[in-house]
Amino acid sequence: MSPVVVLARKEAGELVLSPRGIAWLLAMAAALSVFGLLLVGNTELSLLDNAQVVYDMAGIVTALGALLAVVVGNDSIAGERERGSLMALLLTPISRAGLVTGKMGGLVIAWVLMFLIAVPYLWAVGSTGQNLVAAILGVALFGTPVVLSFGLFAMGLAARLGSSRSSLIATLIALLVSGSPVVLGPSLRQSAIGRMFDAINPFSGAVNAFDSVIIDSQPIAAQAGRLGLTIVWLALATWFAYSGVRRLAR
Amino acid sequence: MRARALAVTAIMACAAASADAAPLAIELSPSSANPNSPRMGDRLSFQSIIRNDGKTPVEGVIAWISLVQIDKGKEQPVDLEDWSAHKAVTIPTLAPGEAIRTDWPMRLIQAGMYRVVISAVSRDGPGLTASPFADFAVRQKPVVESARVVPIAFGLPGLLALLLFWRWRRS
Amino acid sequence: MLIDIRSLSLKVGDHQILHDVHLALNAGEIYGLVGPNGAGKTTTIAAAMGLLNREGGTISVLGDDPGIDARSIRARCGVLPEQNGFYDWMNAADYLGFFARLYAFERTLREIQERLTQVGLEPHPRQTIGTFSRGMRQRLGLARALIGNPELLVLDEPTNGLDPRGRREIHNVLIELSRRGVGILLCTHLLDDVDRLCHRIGLIVHGRTVAEGTLAELIQKADKRTRFRVRLGGPLPKAERGPSHVSIVAEQGDWAVVDLDPGTAPAVAWRELLLAGWPVVEIHAAGGGLEDLYLSLTEDKAA
Repeated sequence: MSPVVVLARKEAGELVLSPRGIAWLLAMAAALSVFGLLLVGNTELSLLDNAQVVYDMAGIVTALGALLAVVVGNDSIAGERERGSLMALLLTPISRAGLVTGKMGGLVIAWVLMFLIAVPYLWAVGSTGQNLVAAILGVALFGTPVVLSFGLFAMGLAARLGSSRSSLIATLIALLVSGSPVVLGPSLRQSAIGRMFDAINPFSGAVNAFDSVIIDSQPIAAQAGRLGLTIVWLALATWFAYSGVRRLAR
Repeated sequence: MRARALAVTAIMACAAASADAAPLAIELSPSSANPNSPRMGDRLSFQSIIRNDGKTPVEGVIAWISLVQIDKGKEQPVDLEDWSAHKAVTIPTLAPGEAIRTDWPMRLIQAGMYRVVISAVSRDGPGLTASPFADFAVRQKPVVESARVVPIAFGLPGLLALLLFWRWRRS
Repeated sequence: MLIDIRSLSLKVGDHQILHDVHLALNAGEIYGLVGPNGAGKTTTIAAAMGLLNREGGTISVLGDDPGIDARSIRARCGVLPEQNGFYDWMNAADYLGFFARLYAFERTLREIQERLTQVGLEPHPRQTIGTFSRGMRQRLGLARALIGNPELLVLDEPTNGLDPRGRREIHNVLIELSRRGVGILLCTHLLDDVDRLCHRIGLIVHGRTVAEGTLAELIQKADKRTRFRVRLGGPLPKAERGPSHVSIVAEQGDWAVVDLDPGTAPAVAWRELLLAGWPVVEIHAAGGGLEDLYLSLTEDKAA
């Protein structure tokens, strides 16, 4: 078995079998539950609002997925370093690229678990509305590069900064800035700066794609430009992670 | 004398205007395929017939659909953005006696009581022609079903909490 | 030679950590790397394992330069670092199996159990590492270092947290491994361990190797009067002059305490005793041993 696969399995095991990892997944599920329960019994929602609900849920799933990826990515380097277990890994024959790839495998599995937890919620709020299948596909297609980008960015920053707390705070701030379009709403994004930010922000790319697919019923294939934006950021974040881990030790 | 001549001129102008506006007649009826008791998400269709009852052709006719909500306390015009993609038709020339039939499909987005009307103007006509009203009611459909959400909202975190407890006990 | 380090210098950031370090370890040898805190022992190990770039000097580990092919070196080395963390949610067998696979070995459960037994660790199969005591963790770390059947073992404070019986067990493991030809680089503060285990010693102070060799060589080179206790099989001969190069300090029953003149090799002194007719049964160092040597050398360099 390739050392990369061995490491990815260990990372996945840490998420699924360790109390810490299960607690993170529980927190994500609880957040989705709170949002879902707030909608129950609201008989005033129109059909259009139902699409809005699914769109909002898709955005929240992506944001929570990115948050989980930040926590997992930071912990996989800085947390292991502070617990003293990273040195033993660095002293094995696994290459630095293999180390990042293995830990990225852990991020992928974390997102898959998050996605699997989210699908029942999307079904529960969106089954009576429009474009549920498109919403689920959209979250998979656009959410994945956004989530992995933040996880890899967290890994790269954790490798560069000496403290787990510092790297976690810095990455969370970056996530908050990137996710701000969701909070600010469309009116503040109409300025020149807002539009420029939207054009380069991967989170905006994903959220705008959800808007087009879920609310405006546009085909997913028409979102190729936004998908391209998220993939460019994924490539940049991957380079950032690899170059950071190479600095840890040769 | 001069004032009397002006008044006669005005009366003749109004008569002429009425004669120009009057030629367009619009009939409106719901499609026979419409559901009897439509709900949110259903599709309705209305059919209109725009006819030139005058003796001269009518140029540049524009006809459009309007929708208002007439629930007591919630009376308001409805933005047809999400209800219908077919909001207007244009007829370059409507010959005397000619009638154009138009279908007006729509998707029912929100529950309530509604009134639909088709309006038309022509390029040279001074007035508006409106069809009779067609009223319809849209029933509420549960948008977020608690029977689906509640078991998941409590069940999934519950399962994860059990798993956490089990692993914590083992460790 | 398994490790050959010459004139190693190394900077971390703006700090010159190592100035001039030498180290030579042969197969089957246990080499004790000793020095005060912050002397550069762990940094030397990190450079040998390819974790840090050197500034100057040469390093050869198992025939490879860690600056060029660190992965090849790590594949044949087992390392127990000083900072030794684990995955608390795993059990010991899963943990060793994970690391075995990272070294591209597939170890059966039986082989893993044997490795655990070798280091004196026999936990319940489902017991997670998070419940292990410090001593158990240390043993597990050693088992991890041994999982790949390494040619070279690098151990940083391997008996930390172990009781005297545990330390003795680990000593026996290391002695057995060295007899099988495994080279062992032992980095430790415990001079008892060094005294008991090490064939050769290297002393680092402020990033420089200040002494390297066998204990006897180092003591000889220390150029200080050294003291020994000699057990006698009978009364000392009466002579006008005592043996050359040796001064009698005291006589205590069957024992005589003697000082060797500075620069006198012990072997030379013992020959003189025998020529003088001393009934020598056994000889022990009495002061002037490793601890005195360590303190004197580190004191000089610190000053």
